[in-house]
Amino acid sequence: MILIYSIHSDLKEKIKDLNQMLQDKYRGIFSKDREFLRDFIRQYIGQIETMKRLDNRHLALYEAKGGIVGVDGSTNTKGGAFPHFVQVFQGLAKSTLKDQEPVFMADIYSPLFSDSLKNPLEKDEKVQTEKKNRLLSDIEVKVALESIKRHKPYGILMDGSLIRYNIYSGDLWAELRQVCEEEGIILVGVIKDIKTSTIGDMLEEVYPDLSINAYDRELLFGILDYGEIIYIKDEVSKKYEYEYSSVFMRSSIAPTVIGMDIIDSQKGHIEEMSRLVYTLTPENSRGVPLWLDLVDKEVKISDTIMEGLMEKYMDRDIYERFFIPERARRN
Amino acid sequence: MKVVGITTQQEVFVGSRTRNLRINEFLIIEDPNQGDLIGEVVEAKTFNRYIPLNIAGDFVDNSVIESLRTLGYNIDEETIFIGKVRLLNEALYPVLTGSDIRLPAFYEVKDLMIKSKKEDGLVIGVIRNTDDMAADMDQEYKNLLNTYEENGLQPQREIPYIMDVRSMHQYPHIGVFGGSGSGKSFGLRVVLEELMKQSIPTIVLDPHFEMDFSEKASYLQGDSFDFEDRFKCLQVGFHVGVKFQDLSAQDLKNLLDAASTLTDAMNNVVDILFRRRDSFYSFYNKLNMLMEAQEEGTVEKIDNRIKDAATDEERKAWAERKELYLSYDKTCPHSSVRGIVWRLKRLDNDGIFSKDIREIEEGLQRGKLMVIQGNTRILQVFSTYLLNNLYHKRREYKDAQYKKTTADYFPPFIVVTDEAHNFAPKGYDSPSKSIIKEISQEGRKYGAFLILATQRPTLLDETITAQLNTKFIFRTVRASDIQTIKEETDLTMEETRRLPYLRTGDVFISSASMGRTIFARIRAAISSSPHTENPFDELKSKGKEDDKMFMEIIENKLPINDTDLLHLISEIEKEFSITFTIDTLEDRLKEMTQKGFLSKEDTIFGYRYKKLS
Repeated sequence: MILIYSIHSDLKEKIKDLNQMLQDKYRGIFSKDREFLRDFIRQYIGQIETMKRLDNRHLALYEAKGGIVGVDGSTNTKGGAFPHFVQVFQGLAKSTLKDQEPVFMADIYSPLFSDSLKNPLEKDEKVQTEKKNRLLSDIEVKVALESIKRHKPYGILMDGSLIRYNIYSGDLWAELRQVCEEEGIILVGVIKDIKTSTIGDMLEEVYPDLSINAYDRELLFGILDYGEIIYIKDEVSKKYEYEYSSVFMRSSIAPTVIGMDIIDSQKGHIEEMSRLVYTLTPENSRGVPLWLDLVDKEVKISDTIMEGLMEKYMDRDIYERFFIPERARRN
Repeated sequence: MKVVGITTQQEVFVGSRTRNLRINEFLIIEDPNQGDLIGEVVEAKTFNRYIPLNIAGDFVDNSVIESLRTLGYNIDEETIFIGKVRLLNEALYPVLTGSDIRLPAFYEVKDLMIKSKKEDGLVIGVIRNTDDMAADMDQEYKNLLNTYEENGLQPQREIPYIMDVRSMHQYPHIGVFGGSGSGKSFGLRVVLEELMKQSIPTIVLDPHFEMDFSEKASYLQGDSFDFEDRFKCLQVGFHVGVKFQDLSAQDLKNLLDAASTLTDAMNNVVDILFRRRDSFYSFYNKLNMLMEAQEEGTVEKIDNRIKDAATDEERKAWAERKELYLSYDKTCPHSSVRGIVWRLKRLDNDGIFSKDIREIEEGLQRGKLMVIQGNTRILQVFSTYLLNNLYHKRREYKDAQYKKTTADYFPPFIVVTDEAHNFAPKGYDSPSKSIIKEISQEGRKYGAFLILATQRPTLLDETITAQLNTKFIFRTVRASDIQTIKEETDLTMEETRRLPYLRTGDVFISSASMGRTIFARIRAAISSSPHTENPFDELKSKGKEDDKMFMEIIENKLPINDTDLLHLISEIEKEFSITFTIDTLEDRLKEMTQKGFLSKEDTIFGYRYKKLS
């Protein structure tokens, strides 16, 4: 009892400290009023504008031109520590058009069955994570390509930043990008959790006393009004070198801000795509377009399903021998 | 449609993406190993994993759904339909998950649904949710009836429920349960109509004066079945009664007991004083004289009466009284004799002894439906006598057949009553209960059947309830009655849970001959109850009628001066023999003025009522 209590109190202190540290670190910028930051953004980052929802005529046009495809991937791991685990990946490209069958693809990875065992570096967690990211990214790009081949949609909403695909699926991504450009299919990525620091870096440049390595996420919290969008100037955007244009927007009542990337050659569509994302996002939500949420829900491999798959299709002997960690045997 | 989830030998779950399932629907499961299995949907649910729209905890507003719909995606199409299906016959092994499911064709379920030809059965209604199977139904089962739904009369779309009347030989008695307004009386009416069509001799005890079949239902158009010469309404004490000479001491005691409970002493009095073949008058007289003698108190006093008698006749009468007094005073206490006298008087006042039951017997012989009307108390008394009489006639005939002797023919018959708990109550004795119990227990052998309707099955005698092999269960709200139904029928948990929510006219028919419970809807009745007029409409139309009549009376007398009222009253009395007082006439005139039929004006001679032009 006493032991538990002492841990609690210790933890409590640590959390309090973290809170204090964050408060201290950001005091400079948080004490500025909202207009200060908005002015700064207007001046250095890009125009703040207010979006209008797309009306139904517009949406009907998209429907007529092939609908919108949402792409997402999911992964789940079963087993214990390296190399005794198996990872499954699933990608889904789902069109808003009911008669177009959703494109599912799956992949599987286990260090037990690859060259990785020979390569001591593979044991490294970083390498493992990268491997996982690559497989996930690949499968998403593959389903997107397949859905283009089958359905020729008007536009594709990828779940997450487009940079990710550059990093993890270089060649495949280049192919998708090329196909989209050739066929005129608009390709955008919707970023639920923005991880850039465009504004923070600029702040540092302009006001050296505000140099605190702040990220856009916390800086933009509550700064935009519902329905407002920032078109990031290409010259400040970190993504420009990858030939993407980006925006930040507040797409729901929640004060968090989401991002959206579009390939540069399709920059002309950035406004309508932003408005599409805005239109598809429920007012009282976390800011994610409902379509991507639906796709996410459908592609997700839950623990139960994972377990069911393993138990059904794997010999019990193999399953127990390789993939049931001690942790799972605890009661 | 496919079988999903964990299955057993009795129950499976069925999932469909495209077709909604309905309770009581029949499905065929195509088990690859066991062949086709037939089952009935006992629970139906729908599920949409995106609605309620709390995807990842977010509340989704309609505008987004609408936008998605414009983009071609309809979230409603994500709905899946799930049903729990119970196999009619247990399978040998649990059903294989993933088995395909299809709707049965009519010929596959015909034997399960229809047990009798329409000519030999009672066409009571339709089996609910069978319209898909009814599509390729044999022509002879089509267009047999109409149902009455919220939007009026509807042609038959489903498989008819035809009750096999011949099966009453094995399963003789029927219970009809349901709360007020559940369609119980209406269901009874339909059953009676069918009995009349089949010319089955039937006695209906009708305490509500509602089982009249002469009026055609207002919603029916064109020709329909005419019941005019198939039934007869008879009122106790007016058309039918008890023939006193035919009564046995036991009958009489029952009757008296029904008037008001008899004490042991009173029972004794009847046993001592009543002689078979006594007429009402002779028995009543005997009692009365004994009572008068007992009021004198002693033999001496009666002797004095004889001595002081003014006429011979009076002397003779008192001598008779003395005789009675001497023979019976010791065994028949005065108070008991008096008790019997006033009970007898009460029954006589109700007219019970003024008629007989010949007309009923004749009606039954000719296969008619005889409706016996009277208030509950009278009916209890009379039915005791009547049923005893008829049942024993039938019994004598059958017994004679067995014994190979001869007796007059008496047909098998059905006894029908609403508010059966009044005739055979649980917990206490009632004269009619013993005969109903007797019929319930051995009527099958003799061809006497019961149809007992009640809104309180809990109050019905248990021995009798246990004998009801077929039960019609309408909407029931009362928990204690649902409990009784649960105990007395094979209704499943799911079905009893639905009882409080059944639509009027929907009914579970739990029938031993069918071997399972059927969810049916009673057909539209051909005749209509005399009680269908809304009492509030009645008030309105009655008021209008009165006004019209009053206007007709004073039409020619207008204008009316208030000084003329007295004169007017005598005129009206002369012409129409209706009497008004000055006050009532003036009130009436004022009222008509308010209603805008008349106008009232001031003149130098006082008020004057004029016709409004």
